Amino acid sequence: MEQAREACLGLPIVVHGVELSIGSAHSWNGAYIDMLDTFQARWPFLWHSEHLGYQTISGENGATLETGVPLPVPATKEAVQIIAERSAVIVKRYGVPFLLENPAYYIADLPSDPEIGDDIGLLGAIMERSGCFQLLDLHNVYCNAINHRQDPLAIVDRVSLNRVMEIHVAGGSSHDGFWMDAHNGSVPEPVWELLEYTLPRARNVSGVVFEMLDEFAPRFGVAAITKELERARNIWNRHKRD
Amino acid sequence: MALSDFQTALGRLVRAPDGRDPFRSLCLDERERSCLERLSQSAGFRFTVDVQRSWCVGRTMNAGTLTLSILSDGVRRPLLEAWTNCGGGTSSFFAAEADALFDFIAARLHDPSHELTVCRFEQATLRASEKAAVFIPPKPIEPDAPGRALRRGPYAGMVLFHGDPGVILDALATGKPLPPVSHEVSPILLSPGLDRLWRPASAIEVGLWNRLSAPSPFPALLREGFPRDAIESMLRAGALEFVDNGLE
Repeated sequence: MEQAREACLGLPIVVHGVELSIGSAHSWNGAYIDMLDTFQARWPFLWHSEHLGYQTISGENGATLETGVPLPVPATKEAVQIIAERSAVIVKRYGVPFLLENPAYYIADLPSDPEIGDDIGLLGAIMERSGCFQLLDLHNVYCNAINHRQDPLAIVDRVSLNRVMEIHVAGGSSHDGFWMDAHNGSVPEPVWELLEYTLPRARNVSGVVFEMLDEFAPRFGVAAITKELERARNIWNRHKRD
Repeated sequence: MALSDFQTALGRLVRAPDGRDPFRSLCLDERERSCLERLSQSAGFRFTVDVQRSWCVGRTMNAGTLTLSILSDGVRRPLLEAWTNCGGGTSSFFAAEADALFDFIAARLHDPSHELTVCRFEQATLRASEKAAVFIPPKPIEPDAPGRALRRGPYAGMVLFHGDPGVILDALATGKPLPPVSHEVSPILLSPGLDRLWRPASAIEVGLWNRLSAPSPFPALLREGFPRDAIESMLRAGALEFVDNGLE
């Protein structure tokens, strides 16, 4: 951690997690909370975020089993209640904004309650009840739009944009008829267009992140990464400079 | 359908099949079972399972990098498949899963073989390095240490190289072919209190390590002829430790 702090040259930090399993009815991941406690004590963060999903289920005799991959949460009232309560606890515990990220998912037609509707309705209801904010991942929007034959602009229009604090863009790839959120390359043109569309409408956004898995970075190269970052910065400057 | 039951059912379906009814012990009626069965036959579900398997294989490769890298593809591939099929690779916490992975691999490797040695060496290095940052050497043993028993340190290991360890490790580092398995054994002690975590072990230390496959009272070890300074040296390194409940 000290090496990372040194590399950041005193710049502020935000934290992004994938292991909390906030949407699990069985239990969330207490070890992740412990880790976040330690992190905040040693290096306070401006805000932190987590994916809306679940990775833990009930095993035999009350033990916890990990699913090995984040799974989508059904858009039900019970899910809203569980996740909103946990989000409120987290907001209070750390005293900084907590953001939930809209996930990419491949399984369609999950059970849902009509009052909640779908994943966008689920996130909206959780934010309304808990006081948390949204991390809007535009590549996930793009994935879901392709894989479930939806209009990406219509998805963005349904998001509570005034509660979006951070935006993610990334690259992906096609496998077995699905567009995969692989974080393995350059941002697709339609995702840049989504960023152009969203930024002026989301007044409280504080940052845009280009995501890439470390295993792909060497092959993609510094020049290509810089190009993606410059393009993101240009769009930011055009819409958010003031 | 209760959220917990739905999530458990879907999670069991996505994890590797274990031959049991994925809906066992869950409160699901016929309509809900049909819904889950329909989901599990969808293309999106199958793709999710493919992603899960690839993540599990990736985590496993990260957990046992050295050992898995020296196995032939014909050995590595079925090992990875067997490990992920029994639920391995699902935990993102490296150390929690790596130790069990090495035991799993070791049980399937020829003994003696360089592959087995490397597997145990990587496992012992992981254990020792996990503890090294917080390891505090114990105080010197009291003169008679009455009633206290000794056991192997949980973060230590004794690894037997079948040949010169330097030659074998150099071959691994440079990608050269491994030398033939030798009848001459070079024991290496790995422990959190050692400089660089390892050193060659003496015959006495190997004897002590083997003797302590089960805890033994300290005076009994002295009576059997194990030198006090050898015991103290291994204690200081964390290769041995006292058990709180005495045996004598």
